[in-house]
Amino acid sequence: MNNTKRIRAILLLCLVFGILSCSTVAPWERGRLAKPHMALVPFPEQGLLREHNYNSREAASGGGASSGGGCGCY
Amino acid sequence: MGVPPAGVVVAATKPHRRSICSPKNRFCSMALVTERVRYIGRKLKKVFRCESRVTQEKSSISDGERINSSNMKKRSSLHALRAVALTLPGLAQATDGDPSTFTFQYGRYEEGKRELFDTKNDEFDPIVVDSIFGNVSLNFLDRFKFSGNYTQDTWSGATPITTAPLQFMFDTPTGASSFAATNVFVDADFDPVDTSVFTPSGLLKDTQLVHMVTSASVETRKQGDFGLTYEWDEAAATVGGGLSSESDYESHFVNIGGSLDFNSKLTTVDFGMSYTWSDIDVNLDPRFDPYIDEGNHGDDVEISIVDGNRVTSVTGKRRDWSANLGLTQVLNKNALIESSIGYTRSSGFLENAYKVVGFLFVEPMPGMPFLSGNFDGVLEQRPDVRNQWVWDNRLVHYVEPLDASVHADYRLYHDDWGITAHTLELDWNQPLGRGWTVIPRVRYYSQNEADFYQPFFLFKQAKPLLTPGRPDIDFSQVPISEYSSDHRLSGFGTLSGGITIAKQIGDAVSLKAGFEYYTHQGGLKLGGGGEDDFADFDYWAANASLTVDLSAKFLPVLSSSSNDHFGLHRHRGHSGGHAPAGVMFSHMLPSAGDFMVGYRYMRSERHGDILHGTGSVSDATIISQGCGNVQCSFAPRQMIMNMHMLDIMYAPTDWLNLVLMPQFVDMEMDLRPLPGQSLDVGEHQHGGNSTHETGGVGDTGLYALIKLFETPGHHLHMALGGTAPTGDVAQTSIREEHPPLGAAGTVEEFVHYGMQNGSGTWDFRPSLTYTGQGGAFSWGGQLSGIIRLDHRNDSGFAFGDEFKSTLWTSYNLFSWLSASVRMVYTRQGEIRGEYDGPHSEIGPMDFPESYGGEYWDLGLGLSSMIPFSGFEGNRLAFEWIQPLNDDVNGFQLEREGSLIASWSISY
Repeated sequence: MNNTKRIRAILLLCLVFGILSCSTVAPWERGRLAKPHMALVPFPEQGLLREHNYNSREAASGGGASSGGGCGCY
Repeated sequence: MGVPPAGVVVAATKPHRRSICSPKNRFCSMALVTERVRYIGRKLKKVFRCESRVTQEKSSISDGERINSSNMKKRSSLHALRAVALTLPGLAQATDGDPSTFTFQYGRYEEGKRELFDTKNDEFDPIVVDSIFGNVSLNFLDRFKFSGNYTQDTWSGATPITTAPLQFMFDTPTGASSFAATNVFVDADFDPVDTSVFTPSGLLKDTQLVHMVTSASVETRKQGDFGLTYEWDEAAATVGGGLSSESDYESHFVNIGGSLDFNSKLTTVDFGMSYTWSDIDVNLDPRFDPYIDEGNHGDDVEISIVDGNRVTSVTGKRRDWSANLGLTQVLNKNALIESSIGYTRSSGFLENAYKVVGFLFVEPMPGMPFLSGNFDGVLEQRPDVRNQWVWDNRLVHYVEPLDASVHADYRLYHDDWGITAHTLELDWNQPLGRGWTVIPRVRYYSQNEADFYQPFFLFKQAKPLLTPGRPDIDFSQVPISEYSSDHRLSGFGTLSGGITIAKQIGDAVSLKAGFEYYTHQGGLKLGGGGEDDFADFDYWAANASLTVDLSAKFLPVLSSSSNDHFGLHRHRGHSGGHAPAGVMFSHMLPSAGDFMVGYRYMRSERHGDILHGTGSVSDATIISQGCGNVQCSFAPRQMIMNMHMLDIMYAPTDWLNLVLMPQFVDMEMDLRPLPGQSLDVGEHQHGGNSTHETGGVGDTGLYALIKLFETPGHHLHMALGGTAPTGDVAQTSIREEHPPLGAAGTVEEFVHYGMQNGSGTWDFRPSLTYTGQGGAFSWGGQLSGIIRLDHRNDSGFAFGDEFKSTLWTSYNLFSWLSASVRMVYTRQGEIRGEYDGPHSEIGPMDFPESYGGEYWDLGLGLSSMIPFSGFEGNRLAFEWIQPLNDDVNGFQLEREGSLIASWSISY
């Protein structure tokens, strides 16, 4: 992907979210969103362990916002 | 072992991974919020703050439910008043935001056997990992949140170090393992041939590849990290950092992050940066050292002589910078989406120092049906920089007819090593009522290979020699400078599926268990063209966790109680007063239905002189007398034992408590060669690394506590029960042998007795405890014993029985803090039987008669009922055990002391 394409993709993304953000969900309509199983990651500690297993076996582990150290690779 | 292809482990401090109902993302319905919201009346903007606990309690409210506006106004003004009261200094409690919690998790990872054909390596056990994870999340001063994590992984077993044509493999001289030959034959197409079978048409082509695996001794990684978050009404900022430590890899990291809410909290922007710096210091396996050419690593490699052995070490430094930007958007009342981009730049030593690459040099000779070649192992070489980009997308959608939610995640990864990867994951979250939730999930991952990956590398040229007559490769004559055969950089796909089951018990406790099966196959790669099936493998992983709310249940008690909060809870949770941290079963839960969760950590160290009886002895005495009929060649220099125990206690009636006590242990022993004894060829060598590590799940305790007698100020109870032999007693270490002729080999043998994870026997552990209380003083005494119910464990021995007695007194310095002093007398028998398999006999620690003895100790402790509002019912205690007098059996390392820390909460 060259730079121009990348910039276009980002602009498109901004536009999409711009439109989305016009949607209004009133606070009293957010009951479903507040349910525990609607959390982005409902069980973070399990997620960490699973990610650790994947990271030790797959190449695509970096690149996120993650900070952390060590290898623990087996 | 070693460096991963990308060794960044995700810390638990990701700011954007919080529950949607955390203070940052307050997408909570008015119906939910009315209970405990903090409504800031001064601002006309509606700012809602809710707790996930409230949410859970109230999640049964139909989301279609609307509250009419006049009703709402009334409630709002009431809550505005309450909110104003709560914002007054000192009144604010830890009731806002997410609850403060303690989480403990255990995880197990087991790989299936790989296809290694008939090579000797097939006898090695595949890799097994035990992980424990602890987290404490605390909310304090209204807007601060602290999160502390501890992670410990212990692994052992065999793992691939490189790949070679099956026809090149031969058994090493000791017959313990297989390695690739250096002089090999190929046909005119440069393909390997089977030299053992002659057919009329000549030798048969055989291009089958196979992994070469090595089995390593037990290793442990420990990581501690923390995050501190400050929350404004519509923003949050986090700082964090941590440390990860392994014998060959040490990592430090810091991170900052933040989030901003916009658009009536329908939109949240997250951002973060992190920096990780790591030091790698690896000692190469001496078994394979002679076969591996390290000349390509220049200054990274250092060769030294330790205890008379050649040790090749590889050192390096690595730096990782990461940044990310994410956006969370509520799409409608049923769905939200998160999209984030991340970038990581890694630089420095990015290799895995244990991974080897096969170089096949064949000089072309036109017209010849067969050619001879050289097959050499070299250390892998990766680029010194890696730029990685990630685009991560998560959609969460509510499914109304089933009150379920579906989570769909797609992740695109790309780096400048040529790897592009796609990950797709689907989770179905199904609440079942009565606090139960099940989550089946499926995940697919695919990556293509790195530019410099090949299972082995063929060069159609004669092997370039650095010095004629010597085998060292002249790397300047090799046409490539970057190469790896690590299968993690190959092209493949993976498919995994699993299920998580969660159960919420009351407000306070939630239990989770998960299972996952994972298969890695070249044939699953998106678009085909993945690695051949020799690299396929699978694993299963299981985990179980317990989360307790540190402030649950106590609020109602507080609000109706007098000023004496602490007295109330002391009475409630700890009728036995403040017994020191090291005393087990020091109290009972007072009433039926009570529940307690505790965690106890114990660290014991031995260091110093070798004792025989009560006095220390010289090295000469150890050599001549410490090892029975043979001479000792090693003595222990230091031994460290760490133990993590969970303490789960329930009172079905007021006179009976049931206790479950899982344990996790890890141990480290450092040996020193005795003078004049270590240079014999063929003796026990540790490859320059004289430290042994073991660890994993320990024995599991099951007890019943029975109240015998109680009057005001006096209490007597007994514990009946013991431990089940869940700890492994077949832990081995790899010993290198250096015979006078031939190459080094290895022997896998039982590790020193004191380093097994458990006793291996069913142990009866009765105890009798008396506690008393009067004024500011409390006191007590305990008699306890360990009786081994089996004569021998599966490895052929049993630890000695033990008797212990202790007396203590403690004084309340403040209403919330007490100090204790105690005396301990312990008597333990020597080991009965001995290992029934290969084990070394190189030092006193390998002889059953050098275990047990009589010990006197002094304990000094502090115990505290946490006085902060919102954390009532939490007890924290520390104790230092100082050895006073040892009278040991045989020859033993002097004891340095023990530190015990315990925490518990009662409901």
